[in-house]
Amino acid sequence: MKEIETTGKTIEEATEKALKLLQLPQEEVVVEVITEASSGLFGLIGTKPARIRVTEAIIPEKYMVGFLDGIITKMGLSGDIAVEKTEQTLKMNVNGAKMGMLIGKRGQTLNALQYLVSIAFHKRFPGQNARLILDVEGYREKREETLRTLALNIAQKAVRTKREVMLEPMNPQERRIIHTTLQDNPDINTYSQGDDPYRKVVIAPK
Amino acid sequence: MKMKDLVEFIARALVDHPDDVRVEQLEDERAITLELHVASDDMGKVIGKQGRIAKAIRTVVNAASATEKKRV
Repeated sequence: MKEIETTGKTIEEATEKALKLLQLPQEEVVVEVITEASSGLFGLIGTKPARIRVTEAIIPEKYMVGFLDGIITKMGLSGDIAVEKTEQTLKMNVNGAKMGMLIGKRGQTLNALQYLVSIAFHKRFPGQNARLILDVEGYREKREETLRTLALNIAQKAVRTKREVMLEPMNPQERRIIHTTLQDNPDINTYSQGDDPYRKVVIAPK
Repeated sequence: MKMKDLVEFIARALVDHPDDVRVEQLEDERAITLELHVASDDMGKVIGKQGRIAKAIRTVVNAASATEKKRV
């Protein structure tokens, strides 16, 4: 983390100087005033410059990208990390070569990674209630699409055969996709049964 | 060597006392065992409910290395 002390005739001047030296925008620093400028007695005796300490602020997105990049590098891979922040989510997408290694069988590795990164995120920034989502090469989006199609197909089958259909075990996010896809379907009920990690969704006709 | 760094790096981000995180590497012909040591009150933070965190670390490390075996 970068930190610097500067002086100036005013606090603004000192800040400007510091930002130039740190090469950071105003939003990414914390300014701490050590001494205020004083013009002294009649501007003659005891003029003191403003003295401030400027510290690089810890931006959650930046910190998380650094953390994720550290993991990827230590796994012997390299990729570009794009961050997208909304009020409810902090989405990180990694693109690069050999990314299959990060996804694993059925997204196993990706889910483990997301779990770890998200714990680290909430540990470091307890005030953040955004959900952290990790994706690799848009894998999650594609998987979501697949799950939606699956949900719709199975729902049809359940209605046609008038029988409950049990899906394969899925993680909470994947189950949520199934539930939300079918929540507006008037002919269908969905619920989950079993215990993690074998918890599965059941699609039942009404 | 890298696996050790990886485990250390992840564990440091999860605990209250990152300076106490230490990883020992034991090797034989077939497997590398990585032993993760943390401050006693941080134990739960690297193991998690029903070993969920430890399992996730294992999954990530396994992905990074095909032939190696690991345990916490």
